[in-house]
Amino acid sequence: MLRVKGLSVRYGTMQVLRRVSFHVGADEIVAVIGANGAGKSTLLRTLSGLHRPSEGEIRFMNTPIHRTAPERIVRLGLIQVPEARQLFPNMTVLENLELGGFIYGGKHVEISLPQIYEIFPVLSDRRRQKAGTLSGGEQQMLSIGRALMAKPRLLVLDEPSMGLAPLIVEEIYQTIQNLHRMGTTVLLVEQNAMGALAISDRAYVLETGRVVLSGKASDLMEHDDVQRAYLGRDYQHKWER
Amino acid sequence: MPKDSIDSLSRDSLHQLQIERLQMTLNRAYFHVDFYRNRMDSLNLLPEEVGTFEDLRRFPFTTRQDLTDHYPYGLFAVPLRSIVRLKITTPALGDQGRPIVVGFTRHDSSMWHSLMMRLYEQLGVTDRDIVQVAFNFSLFPGAFTFNHAAELLGATLAPSSTISATLQLQIMQDFRSTVLATTAAFALHIVETMERLGMEPDSLHLRLILLGPDPLPDTTRDRLESAFGIPVYGLYGVTEMGEPGMAGECPAKAGLHLAEDQFLAEIVHPLTGEPVPSGQEGELVLTTLTAEAYPLIRYRTGDITVLREGPCSCGRTAARIVPILRRTDNRVSIRGIPLYPEQVEELLRSIDPLLDDFRLVIHTRYGVGEQLDILVSRTQAADLPGGGRAQYLELLRATIRRAVGLGTKVQMVEPDRLPREGLVYKTVFRSLSPPCALDPNCR
Repeated sequence: MLRVKGLSVRYGTMQVLRRVSFHVGADEIVAVIGANGAGKSTLLRTLSGLHRPSEGEIRFMNTPIHRTAPERIVRLGLIQVPEARQLFPNMTVLENLELGGFIYGGKHVEISLPQIYEIFPVLSDRRRQKAGTLSGGEQQMLSIGRALMAKPRLLVLDEPSMGLAPLIVEEIYQTIQNLHRMGTTVLLVEQNAMGALAISDRAYVLETGRVVLSGKASDLMEHDDVQRAYLGRDYQHKWER
Repeated sequence: MPKDSIDSLSRDSLHQLQIERLQMTLNRAYFHVDFYRNRMDSLNLLPEEVGTFEDLRRFPFTTRQDLTDHYPYGLFAVPLRSIVRLKITTPALGDQGRPIVVGFTRHDSSMWHSLMMRLYEQLGVTDRDIVQVAFNFSLFPGAFTFNHAAELLGATLAPSSTISATLQLQIMQDFRSTVLATTAAFALHIVETMERLGMEPDSLHLRLILLGPDPLPDTTRDRLESAFGIPVYGLYGVTEMGEPGMAGECPAKAGLHLAEDQFLAEIVHPLTGEPVPSGQEGELVLTTLTAEAYPLIRYRTGDITVLREGPCSCGRTAARIVPILRRTDNRVSIRGIPLYPEQVEELLRSIDPLLDDFRLVIHTRYGVGEQLDILVSRTQAADLPGGGRAQYLELLRATIRRAVGLGTKVQMVEPDRLPREGLVYKTVFRSLSPPCALDPNCR
């Protein structure tokens, strides 16, 4: 569904992504994990068309999109749930959701809203409330709900667990899995490696702009390097001759 | 039809997978292996400068020499605690010894198992089969992979190692083995024993024979297929690189399917190192795509072959290599044990600096090396190391045996009695089979 080949992105002279290649197949949950500054958010911004890559290509549904405008990419069905929710705090829950679906018109919004409320009953209860007054978990749900309004073929989530209590994170992940079961393809970008690996099929590990590891999520979870990087074990004893 | 999705992957999807895994291999090699890092730094090359397969050609080749130079752990990309198995390839050669050691992480070893399983499955081996694996473990650690893969497949495994051919046949009868995996040399020996004992192939239940890791000569295949009345298949492995399972035949016998999801293959001209046009013969150069412990970038296998990318009649899309045509170096194989004439020379001269000349005489049966004789010549009769003539020859024999793990016959001859060497350095081949092979009554 999504194929990224040799993607490099620069901010001025600073190279942030270095020949990143990965793919997401239909009906998969794929995770990209990495620490702060690994290039995760840049990768997503480039996928959405907010940055132009300096080299490489991105193909979505067999269409090259690395030169396409962001709004065209959204219409193709590559929908992002941005980092830190990025809601409109002074608008109501309902208005936020309507904005998600507005490109497809009022009719579409009318049909889709009940489906979103079914997935997130809490949003239905709070539809008249200002988005800024919701709790962190609810805001994340609203953010996902807003993305779902845009009919995603590929739902891209940027750190959905950020700043949330462990129990709420669990709930969000549960939701992602449910969405996947309902047929949504998911690209999950996370710092929370173990959590993301637990719900993904495959994953890529990004380190300072490079993919250093990839494979089945279950294998990566056991992988010494992942354990080392995320459980704080270091490379002190590289060779034990 | 193929069950494994890799088998039916489109070329396009395969290339995507390869490029993803190549970036990982390059990044990991650059950051974890000093050898590759120094090499790339000296060329002013960064892993991210490789965006396509063509870019990879800027990388220098890795050779067998590089591997021995960095013995033991110089090319390892992970700490030893992540390694679950070591494979020491060439037996240590005493002081001159420069073996190669390859390591496997848990992931690596399960990768090899899955590749070998794929080869079994490709030949239709299932959990209903009884797989008899007759390999000498001590010289061929890949025997593990044959065994484990059969077990993982759910087949009934009868590891029979190198017990006598008579016992092998008895196991085949008693347990109704349906698959025999062994070397070409040993399979020929089993056939001879079977004929000597007057056994009928009908009394066995074999369905197929899988031979490796040496190339399978057509004469051997013909001989075995007519003797057993069942198909005989070959597989390919690179001694320095790992295990069997890298490539193997499918029932179409139209080349060996290469595990392209795990290895990137290039065919280059053996002298210039330039890529040869598609479909032409050249040296096989391999890059590992998922190997964690021992990544190899552009490793020159020394094997001459042809890469065919077209689809196979069996339905698999993986490219095929034709059975290895020859070597770029002088490596020969006797009973599956690889040997370099130069290595023998070094050993002989280390014991006897006054040695004039020598020849390796390899007796082959149906194209498979079976027995090695070493002829040495010496103009000076005095000062034989070891004392007398008999002790001298015994000293040479024992040294070769210790170093290479191969029993040989060593003779001293006059210089003019040395046979003329053939295409392979200091080596002559003598066939034991014809004209006998042409005569059905000949035993």
